[in-house]
Amino acid sequence: MADYDAIVVGAGLSGSTAAYCMAKAGLSVLVIERGEAVGSKNVTGGRLYSHSLEKIFPGFADSAPVERKIVKERISMMTAESCFTVEFASDRLKNPASASYSVMRANFDPWLAAKAEEAGCDVVCPAVADDLLRDGDKIIGIRAGEDELTSDVVLLADGVNSLLGQKAGMKEELSPHQVAVGCKEIVELPKGAINERFGLNDGEGVAHLFAGTPSNALVGGGFLYTNKDTVSIGLVMTVGGLTTSSLRLPDLMEAFRESAPVKPLLAGGTVVEYAAHLVPEGGLRMIPTLSRDNVLLLGDAAGFCLNLAYTVRGMDYAIASGQLAAETVIEAREKNDFSNAVLSGYVSRLEKSYVLKDMKTHKHAPAFIEHTKRLYKAYPELAANVLADIFTVSGPSRLIIRKTLPKIFKAGPFGLLMDGLKGSRAL
Amino acid sequence: MKKIAVCYKWVLSDTDIRVNEKSRELDLEKSKPQVSEYDRNTLAAGVALKAQAGASAVVGVTCGTVTEGSSKDALSRGPDAVYYLDDAVMASADSSTTSKVLAAMIKNIGDVDVILCSEASSDEFAQQTGPRLAALLGYPSVSGVAAISVAGDSLTLDRKMADGTEVVSVKPPVVISTVPEVKDAPIPSVKDILGAKKKPANALTLAGIGLSADAVKPLFTINSVLAPESKRKVVRLNPEGTSIDDAAKALIKQLSTDGIL
Repeated sequence: MADYDAIVVGAGLSGSTAAYCMAKAGLSVLVIERGEAVGSKNVTGGRLYSHSLEKIFPGFADSAPVERKIVKERISMMTAESCFTVEFASDRLKNPASASYSVMRANFDPWLAAKAEEAGCDVVCPAVADDLLRDGDKIIGIRAGEDELTSDVVLLADGVNSLLGQKAGMKEELSPHQVAVGCKEIVELPKGAINERFGLNDGEGVAHLFAGTPSNALVGGGFLYTNKDTVSIGLVMTVGGLTTSSLRLPDLMEAFRESAPVKPLLAGGTVVEYAAHLVPEGGLRMIPTLSRDNVLLLGDAAGFCLNLAYTVRGMDYAIASGQLAAETVIEAREKNDFSNAVLSGYVSRLEKSYVLKDMKTHKHAPAFIEHTKRLYKAYPELAANVLADIFTVSGPSRLIIRKTLPKIFKAGPFGLLMDGLKGSRAL
Repeated sequence: MKKIAVCYKWVLSDTDIRVNEKSRELDLEKSKPQVSEYDRNTLAAGVALKAQAGASAVVGVTCGTVTEGSSKDALSRGPDAVYYLDDAVMASADSSTTSKVLAAMIKNIGDVDVILCSEASSDEFAQQTGPRLAALLGYPSVSGVAAISVAGDSLTLDRKMADGTEVVSVKPPVVISTVPEVKDAPIPSVKDILGAKKKPANALTLAGIGLSADAVKPLFTINSVLAPESKRKVVRLNPEGTSIDDAAKALIKQLSTDGIL
């Protein structure tokens, strides 16, 4: 008899969701988390699209420690001297079924783990699952230091690197083009400053993405999210891009924070936290083996993350994968069969859900984003040049078309057309 | 030997304390409570002593505010049970009141004949609780203890002195104040943490141990706690346009002037 029905490695969003759902169904569950406190190792930009958690905890945002409901979306294209911003504000962004919230994982993850604990899970933190426990080829639990803990199934929600996923033979070591590195600063602003500077009411927030100079023409971009009393700003760059460049991420981060469009938003603020983390951005091609006898892979460990340049999602997929993993394990418990014959039902569930459907829909996105270098230099410059001509007045005027066409020709109309076509199939 | 009681303090973690550079005041907002670092070693020493002496039990004892949250952490470090007193009035406790409460708690627990305290807590560092406790209970007090061993019905205690070691023998009951060398504190394992949930955590109250709120009024008040003043020269060696070479030369010159090089 195993110590537990299920052992979950990692108390992030996928792990805690799975643990909660399994415990609710009466399974005995151990969650083991290596961070000093739950959430202390986890980083998001970040915004949580609420739909997947809403299914498990209807109206969770009323009681969970979310920061602000995102009611404004901004995208900027930056060059050294210009910044072209599109803003979309809408009541439609507030619809509970599709709303999104800025969150801080150090606050949010403990809330979710506490829900799992209340449902009856044992949550042990800090403790490291060093290895999988085997009986011959069969995985029968985990080893944590000198302790051996057994379970019928092990759910690996151990994050983007998933060392245990590698040890289970389900996942390769990450390659530089599969991951981006994100860094983020949390800037504390004087009370009331966020509402004033960003034109927000209490509890409302803005999500702002930046392309162009923040990444210094490399693949990547900047982000800014408003929290309750702080602003999260950061950069996400592909590891592949950074390794072939002499630029350092901390320098780019500094330049981004000091850039003309960003600096006044943060004036008088204090950087209170700095964080960096790997982001799985390999898309469908990076998805590892998701199930095998006695083991499932969840969340970032499974590579469930999608960067479409205008939105970046990972946490909602993590939560959905946790719920689907739990459903699968509950079925395995009923049938008392934890072999891949039943556990592979996890993969079919994912395929029927938006998690793998989205990954398939956007299977060309990672390559498009990585290889369309014009997104990071030529197009921000084009936007800046066209708009500079439209808005600068220094004497006689010309028709807009005469102002814009030469710029478009300069940018390369054929490339633009091709990128437009490729982008429309990828994003 | 009867029961061993290990006193521990539930203190704010000092790693997350921030200092306001202007006012030098401490910002404790991000600090979470934890078992005082020194007390982890003392708990480990208590657990080891129980095994060596064949004591009937080793228990953790604490008093303060929000101490209920300490029991799981303390229990994962090996004691058979903890007794905690959680009362808002203890927020302003000093060594005199803390030792008064601990003494009453230990009497209430009963059958305790060895009491271990760390030499000091990681927050106040007053170095008084052990000796005061001994006085209140009428037991001998041995301080600065770096090693404990059992010799028949006595304990042999190594006292760490400035330039040597003093070895003393004492028959329980006794209050022992320990230095961190007394025992390394292992990080609790998963099974230790899981096991902690199954062990008893007993809540005691001031009324229950026969003390009134008046009895725990501190005898002094803390007026302020300020970080030491740090004076920096604030010399910028690379103002706009200075080359790295010139800045390096200026730095060498500055360091020589200051007598550092």
